[in-house]
Amino acid sequence: MTEVRLDALCKSFGKTAVVKDLSVTVRQGEFLVLLGPSGCGKSTTLRMIAGLEDADSGRILIDGRDVTGLPPSRRGLAMVFQSYALFPHLTVAENIVFGLRVRRMDRVERDRRLHEVAAMVGLEAHLTRRPAELSGGQRQRVALARAIAARHPLCLMDEPLSNLDARLRHDMRVEIRALQRRLGMTVIYVTHDQIEAMSMADRVVLMRDGRIEQQGTPEDIYARPETDFVARFIGTPPMNLIRLADGPRGAVIAGDDAGLPVLAGPGDGLTLGLRPEQVRLAEALPETGPAGGPATDAGPVRSRSARVVAVDYHGPDTVVSAGIGGQILQVRAAGHVPARMGQEVRLSWSANAVHLFGADGRRRSPSALHPV
Amino acid sequence: MIGTPSRPTRAVTGWLLVLPATVVLAAFTHLPIVTTLIASLHSRATAIRPARFVGLDNYRSLAADPVFWKVMGNTVAFAFGTVPVSIALALAMALWVNRRIAGRGLLRLAFFLPTMLPMIAAANLWLFFYTPDIGLLDQCLGLAGLSGHNWLGDPSTALPCLMAVTIWKESGFFMIFYLAALQGLSAELREAAMLEGAGPVAYFRRVLFPLLMPTTLFVSINAVLNAFKMVDPLFILTKGGPSNASNLLLYYIYENAFSFNDGATAATLTVVLLGLLAVLAISQFVLLDRRVHYR
Repeated sequence: MTEVRLDALCKSFGKTAVVKDLSVTVRQGEFLVLLGPSGCGKSTTLRMIAGLEDADSGRILIDGRDVTGLPPSRRGLAMVFQSYALFPHLTVAENIVFGLRVRRMDRVERDRRLHEVAAMVGLEAHLTRRPAELSGGQRQRVALARAIAARHPLCLMDEPLSNLDARLRHDMRVEIRALQRRLGMTVIYVTHDQIEAMSMADRVVLMRDGRIEQQGTPEDIYARPETDFVARFIGTPPMNLIRLADGPRGAVIAGDDAGLPVLAGPGDGLTLGLRPEQVRLAEALPETGPAGGPATDAGPVRSRSARVVAVDYHGPDTVVSAGIGGQILQVRAAGHVPARMGQEVRLSWSANAVHLFGADGRRRSPSALHPV
Repeated sequence: MIGTPSRPTRAVTGWLLVLPATVVLAAFTHLPIVTTLIASLHSRATAIRPARFVGLDNYRSLAADPVFWKVMGNTVAFAFGTVPVSIALALAMALWVNRRIAGRGLLRLAFFLPTMLPMIAAANLWLFFYTPDIGLLDQCLGLAGLSGHNWLGDPSTALPCLMAVTIWKESGFFMIFYLAALQGLSAELREAAMLEGAGPVAYFRRVLFPLLMPTTLFVSINAVLNAFKMVDPLFILTKGGPSNASNLLLYYIYENAFSFNDGATAATLTVVLLGLLAVLAISQFVLLDRRVHYR
């Protein structure tokens, strides 16, 4: 049983408050990702759990035991550092068993553990090398092996993949996740990369300025961002956030006062959110008419005209940026879209794709949505 | 003509460019070594008898000279007495002032201050400490009710007194190198070691000290060479006495050349010193290199 509870943690460096009254519970065997932009306090939080940083106030409980004042070595946890923190003068094998050795584990058992974890991370062939002779991915594996060799049920990871190239990063995501499941470890993983968070986490805690902005499963956070900050942070490309204004027949896109209303009622101060993949793109054919395409089960569809300002082809899909009333919407369409710069296109979306945020940045309840 | 010069022109330009350095190096390093070597194979020149070739006679008489062996023993004792202690002190001071403590800058300056003083000034300072009865050392002993001691005049304490001055002066200098090396180490290594259960001692023994080996190699070569070349404090403190109890190789060379006017013996001693220094430097590189990890 390894459950971690953070209870009202606070931490300041000088006059700068970095972590403000943070409370989270990490469940046994859970893969929890602390996500956020740099400077949001996620790494400081992890370092406080590890004992590398003292909390100004609040408590840290691991399995109900208050470890707030304990040194790192007595908290029963392992950690993987961003720089890997491998000892450059020791071989791969010596690095992996470093902790077992200073804790004076019997030699036979130590060797058994070494070969067990080396096999798990695929390092058997490199045990006598030094870190300088390894590739970035192999060093990452050594750091992982060292962390799991002691069999601590809790493992902290501080941006462990940020020094790897894109392909390797993908492989390691899958591998770390598989390893965590296999060993049943509780993992607290810090990253600023929302793709890592979305693909690995059981639960994501998104932080901003030392506080929790939103927490939930990746699906929750993606489908129901509670604030415009979360909406902007998650997704590639992120959610389109479009300022609205009052129009004669309802809320319109600001700068497009003559355009069709997007919502009933006033629009000033509101922000409309649309995921790029939920916006449909069509060529501006005169016969389509301004009234828009057919209604679907997902709700009525309206289309409005926009002008292409950028086309970004990725292979499986194309991201087209189109301007409406001076604001840019990104549209993600499957395959290759032969759009030209300056071309006029029509954009449409269904009513249930619409997110709405108030002037305070908080999500407005769905009842506020009245598609025209 | 501007453009690519012909090959001979380029070669001449190259030679002209290295000429100044070559001349200086040859005139003040290579030529003196060769002339010293030649002088060591000739007899002592006097007003009536010019030097003549004597082969290895000078080396034979040196080997039979008890003062030479006394001086040699002193020099070796001096090296063994000063080098390990000043390196250990340097490392300890570096570890101390590398921490986040109040007045760190002042402390670093204090440790480095002896290095900035000229050795002659430092020796004069210590002369005041060592002076019998009225010196600082004897005054302190007097307070404790102990009688005074002629520190520099006693053959058993003269050399240790010189060693103390040297250690005091050198360790601050070596500390700077350790401090630079310590600041180049990633803090995450210490944190990783702590997380893995290593206490301060285990961390020092298994991580920090091995990682500082390149610095230790560099510092120890310098320290040993300095020990064999030490001469300045002798002029102020003991002049090699009493009865050669604190005489060192370089000072003995100076005495032979300028006090006894024996150029041949001085040249022979110089060749011996040069040979010793070369052997020491090479063997240290070879021996320590095996145990040093370079990143």
